[in-house]
Amino acid sequence: MTNAREITLTVNGTEHTIEVEPRQLLVHAIREELDLTGTHIGCDTGNCGACTVIKDGEPIKSCLMFATQADGSELMTVEGMEDLPEARGELHPLQEGFREEHGLQCGYCTPGMLMSGKALLDENPDPNEDEIREAISGNLCRCTGYQNIVRSIEYAADELESVAAADGGERPTDSRSASETRSDGGVAVDGEFDCGVENCCGGPTTDRERGGESE
Amino acid sequence: MKPAQFEQHEPETVEEAVSLLESLDDRAILAGGQSMVPMLRFRLAVPETVIDINRIESLDYLEEDDEWLRIGALARHADVEESELIAEKYGSFADTAPLVADPQIRNRGTVAGAIAQADPKGDWGSVLLAHEGEVVAQGPDGERVIPADDFFLLPYDTTLDENELLTELRVPVPADREGSAYHKLKRKVGDYAMAGSAARLVLDEDGRIERAGIGLTAVDITNVRATDAEAHLEGERPGSELFKRAGELAAEQSNPESDEHGDADYKERMVNVLTQRALADAAERAGLVKRRVSQ
Repeated sequence: MTNAREITLTVNGTEHTIEVEPRQLLVHAIREELDLTGTHIGCDTGNCGACTVIKDGEPIKSCLMFATQADGSELMTVEGMEDLPEARGELHPLQEGFREEHGLQCGYCTPGMLMSGKALLDENPDPNEDEIREAISGNLCRCTGYQNIVRSIEYAADELESVAAADGGERPTDSRSASETRSDGGVAVDGEFDCGVENCCGGPTTDRERGGESE
Repeated sequence: MKPAQFEQHEPETVEEAVSLLESLDDRAILAGGQSMVPMLRFRLAVPETVIDINRIESLDYLEEDDEWLRIGALARHADVEESELIAEKYGSFADTAPLVADPQIRNRGTVAGAIAQADPKGDWGSVLLAHEGEVVAQGPDGERVIPADDFFLLPYDTTLDENELLTELRVPVPADREGSAYHKLKRKVGDYAMAGSAARLVLDEDGRIERAGIGLTAVDITNVRATDAEAHLEGERPGSELFKRAGELAAEQSNPESDEHGDADYKERMVNVLTQRALADAAERAGLVKRRVSQ
C-alpha cells in the first residue's frame, strides 16, 4: 500500500509504533496490528459499543475513528485492566464484579461494558443506578437484560472503595462496614498497613505508573 | 466493512483546510466522524481525499462573549453536556446534549458537524433555528455568516458552498428574561428523534412574549421553524391555553412521514405535545435567568 504512514499509540502503558493506511479503523489497528483481540467488533455500524476503548481518559467507539486520528493518544483496552494497581495483580474489581454478579453470558459485549464501566468509575466512584445505566447506554448486550451488568458495576464501585480504604486513602462518607466488603485486610493505621497481597500495600509498586490513563 | 482507499490530509489551520478544499476535487471533511465514518464504511461516501480537521486547535472552543455563544467546529457534544456556562444559561443546549446518541459518540461527535450533516432527524438544527442562530463559514473569499433560517436546504444538503468550511455556530446571548428548552421523543436511548421540539421565549418587562422561536426535528425534509406558532405567541402572556394553541399550530405546520415507528397523524400529535412541554419549560426558565439559578 502506497499511502501508509507511521503512527504511535500508547496502549495499556506500552508505546507502539505501527504503519497504518489512512482508511484503517482504530479497532482494526488494535486487533490486527497489535494483536489485542479483547476489543470486539459487534455491529459494524457504530451502535453496539463492543469496540469501546478508553482514549485519553474518555470512552470512544474505536470502529468510528481512524487509527491515524489516535496518533499520539493514550489508549486503554480490556487487556490493560489486570495491570492496574486496583487489580492487585489479579482481576480488576470490575472484572471480578462481572464474575460475581453474572454480568455476562456469552461475553461478547463484556470488554466494551468494562471500558464504559471503568470510564464511569474514574469520573464518579459512587454512581447510582441511573448513572450506571446512562454510562452503559452506548453498549448493547443481547444476553443479560442489563440488570446483572448494573449490579456488576455496583459491586466494583463498592470493591474499589474498600481497596482505596485499605490503601490508606480517605474513606468516602459511607456507612458500610469493612466486614461487608471483600477487603483482604483490616483498617489502615497511619500508613503502616500490609494487606498481605504481594506487591500491594506494603510499599511502592511497579504497576502504579502503568495503565493507559493520564489522571 | 472497510472504507475504500483515500488520500488523507490533516491541516492544522483553517486557511490550510480552505486551500485544500479549493485545490482538491473529490473530498470529504472529517470532524467528529460519527456520521462520516459509517458513511465511508458503507461506501455511501467514496471520496478520493479525506480532510481531517481534528488537528485545527483554533476550532476547539465553546465560549461566550458580549454578544454570542460561540461553538467552534471541534466542540464535541460532550463539551456542551459538561459545560457550566451551558447548564447555567442555555437551557435548550443543556437539554439537547445528553439526548444525542450515546456517551461514546458524544465524546467524539461535534455539534457543528451535526449541523453540517443536516440530517432532518438531527437535534441541533432545531435548537439553532429556535435561537435564530448563525453558521459561520470560511471560504476562499473570507468569512461568510449564514443565518440558520437560510442554512438547511434538503436532507443532508445545506447552502454551505463546497469550498467553505463551517468554522463556528453561534446564538445570541440570552436576554434578561429569556428561556429555552428541548423535548425529544425517541423509541429508546441512542435513537434519532421520532419528533422533537426546541423552544425559546424572550419576555418583555410586562411578562409578555416579545420573541418566540420554535424549531422542529424529524417532521419535515429539514429541521424547520414553526412560524405560525411563533406568530401566535408573540405579544401574549405565557400560559397553558396559549401553549396548547401553539402546539396545535406547530403540529399543523409540520409534515411528518409515516414509518415503522409511527404514522404521520401520531407524529403530529407528538409535535403538539412536545412543543407545549418545551414552551412551558422555556417560560419557566425565562423567569429564572435573571436570578442565575445554577444546577
